[in-house]
Amino acid sequence: MTATLVLQDVARHFGGVPAVDKVSLQVPAGQITGLIGPNGAGKTTVVNLITGLLHLSSGKVLLDGRDVSRDEAPDLARAGVARTFQNIRLVPDASVLENVVAGFHRHEKAGLWANLLGLPSARAEAKWMNERAMALLERFGMTALAEHRAGGLSYGHQRRIEMMRALATEPRLLLLDEPVAGMNDAEAESLAGIFRSVAASGVAVLLIEHNMRFVMSLCSHLYVLASGRLIAEGQPDAVGRDPMVVEAYLGA
Amino acid sequence: MMNFFYTYQSLFDHILVYALLALSQYVVLRAGVFSLGTAGFAALGAYGCALLITKAGWPPFAAIVAGTMLGTLASALLAFPLSRLRGVFQAVATLALVQIVLSATQNWVSVTNGALGVNGIPKVAGTGVLLSVVVVVVLLLVAMGRYSVGRAMDVIREDETVAVSLGISVPYYHRIAFILSGLLAGLGGALQATSSYAITPGEFGFGMLVATLAMVVLGGRTSVWGALVGAAILTTLPELFRVFADYRNVVQGILLLLVIVYLPRGVADTVIAMLRDRRLRRRATPLPADPVVGDPASTGAPPVNPSIDAGVHA
Amino acid sequence: MLMQQLLNGVVVGSVYALFALGFTLLFGVNHIMNMAHGSVFMWGAFAGLYAVTMLDAPIYVALLIAMLAGGLVSVALDVFAFRPLRRRNAPEFSAIVASIGADLVLLAIAQKVSNTAVMRFPFDAFPVVVYTVFGLRIQLLQLVIIGLVVAMVFGLVWYLYRTTFGQRIRSVAYSEQTSRLLGINPGPVNMQVFLISGALAGMAGVLIGLVFNSVHFAMGEPLLLRAFVIIILGGLGSIPGALIAGLAIGIVQTLAVAYVSSGVAEAVVFVALFIVILVKPTGLFGQSTAAMRIQRA
Repeated sequence: MTATLVLQDVARHFGGVPAVDKVSLQVPAGQITGLIGPNGAGKTTVVNLITGLLHLSSGKVLLDGRDVSRDEAPDLARAGVARTFQNIRLVPDASVLENVVAGFHRHEKAGLWANLLGLPSARAEAKWMNERAMALLERFGMTALAEHRAGGLSYGHQRRIEMMRALATEPRLLLLDEPVAGMNDAEAESLAGIFRSVAASGVAVLLIEHNMRFVMSLCSHLYVLASGRLIAEGQPDAVGRDPMVVEAYLGA
Repeated sequence: MMNFFYTYQSLFDHILVYALLALSQYVVLRAGVFSLGTAGFAALGAYGCALLITKAGWPPFAAIVAGTMLGTLASALLAFPLSRLRGVFQAVATLALVQIVLSATQNWVSVTNGALGVNGIPKVAGTGVLLSVVVVVVLLLVAMGRYSVGRAMDVIREDETVAVSLGISVPYYHRIAFILSGLLAGLGGALQATSSYAITPGEFGFGMLVATLAMVVLGGRTSVWGALVGAAILTTLPELFRVFADYRNVVQGILLLLVIVYLPRGVADTVIAMLRDRRLRRRATPLPADPVVGDPASTGAPPVNPSIDAGVHA
Repeated sequence: MLMQQLLNGVVVGSVYALFALGFTLLFGVNHIMNMAHGSVFMWGAFAGLYAVTMLDAPIYVALLIAMLAGGLVSVALDVFAFRPLRRRNAPEFSAIVASIGADLVLLAIAQKVSNTAVMRFPFDAFPVVVYTVFGLRIQLLQLVIIGLVVAMVFGLVWYLYRTTFGQRIRSVAYSEQTSRLLGINPGPVNMQVFLISGALAGMAGVLIGLVFNSVHFAMGEPLLLRAFVIIILGGLGSIPGALIAGLAIGIVQTLAVAYVSSGVAEAVVFVALFIVILVKPTGLFGQSTAAMRIQRA
């Protein structure tokens, strides 16, 4: 069975300088795959290439076997590709609930006029989305904060809101860009539980992280990126002991 | 009491017309479209309506509808190319539009009577008509803001990258906002024509452009109330205080500067946010610490990291 | 006759280019569309005029005073309007709104001071000397204007490309973040840019005041609108673009006024702007940064 996400020799240059060079990887459904590497290795660039925010210089991206290399970002999002951002990007003045509900956009069925005029179908849909969003909040333990201003909450809470929003899209592929950066171990561990359950429900998860320890316990397969190139891949233990990987991290 | 009302009736009418124009400006700014074209579409609506009544003998209400349609059609045509632009470019393009319409109304004398304007427009848009129109428009806009269109616009305005990553088609919502704005402006212009007996090109120039922008900046661009509050304040101030009337431009200028630097969300939006925060604080229990997910005893857990869990800011 | 009008067009166009240069410099470095730039220009013209009429200053001194005034007003704009916004990382929208507000204030003050009068430079402010070459009437004023503009452009280019200050300016224009990392403090750089662009605008103010024989509190607005056309046509942030487009607009406008009518000339300029924005917003020489910037920092 083909993996949900396949990258074939993906490359991206910026005026002759390769930011990402001949990267090939696979992210199968139901597992957590890790993409690690020192700072500046190009991990976020890879994510941007996958989600269509950056165009590929060469190579192919396949989503469930379909070539999506030329697809635009909104199309990829509608096809079930969700991501979180390295620097948290929420609507600070909107409530937690409103932020999460935004993620349901791709599932909206009520037409434009129904929404413009506030017809029953739009209201029913809004109610349904609110309920689903509250369910997500419950899963993340934040129901008491539903009405609070997202911008005024703690870092840990904001990371969760981003996560909930990404999950609201019910993705096939979830890209997590350094989701536990700046968290202590206990907080990170609680999020890890959620990642595991998301993967278990059949989603393909690509975890981009800088923190080796966190990644070890969570991922079934690892890719290591350094200076835009893949320098190692395989089982976490083996990769962790690979001398090239150790050097890349120590040298960084 | 009624005496008071009659004395200020024309001021009230003026507020209502400008409320429509401010709402037209609000709609685009809420969606993150930096259009300054309200005055241009208002001119089209006003002249379309006025000329149909005075030169073609149309019945006034039909002319109002036609004027509105003219504004809507123009904005619909322009919405497509304009939705490909961003920020500064949209601003300059719509500014050019206002200038083009202004030039046309001033120079196409055979049709528009040039700088003398159009006179003798029957006053069919009395206070009752204006009030009903504004109420209906406000209801529709509040509904729009509450459901998918408003939500999508908010995300687009705040962070276009996020909107795109959630599958929201930015050009589509930009177009909707722009066309709605043209409709409201056209309507406002037509009603201005039919509530003040005469129109001149100068009314729809940069004075109107700046005024409507100032109203939305002052009141707030994320909620309908912002536009209404802004329109009410800026239309009333010159009447209440002579000094504001004489120095209208300076006041608007200083207001714009002070508000955008120190109170960027505008008066109404800031007040709404403050009220909401106060309501939450009064009702809520102390903020729970970052709970360990899935742990049923989480609400009793001690804070994991007190320095990070700083809690809600006012 | 045509040659005469072409000459007039080149003269006017070169002053437009001077004004647009300051405008495009601001955009290139700060990504700001300074809507108050027209009023900076106007205040420069006023300063130059009052220098001549009240201080009996010779025209070249008046020119220097105009440049100084323009530079100072421009820096004041930065300090009071743009800097606080930059500190807050406010969106583009806020900067434009703030500049509109500042523009209104500058206009109102000038209107009050001048009592809405249309003033002119005294007849003897600049020697009236006319050369006739091959049937073409060339005024000394016209030659001086062209000379000044050329000198200013060379000066600006030399400053930007041959001095350390200029290097810093170009570095901040390229990327403020990187420049900070390299130890360049953007504060003084921004101030220099505002100063230079204001000085250029101030000089343009006096020159236009001399060419069209009128100084009026609303003289900046039509110039600002033309500047939009010029920098978008020529490409935002592009110096050669501003020059070539400036000359082009000056020539087109002069010919249109001479052979058709001034009303039509206005309209033509704006329709041109509209079309250019819609078809190729990056202009003839601009960078591709004008395209949809999906990724914010």
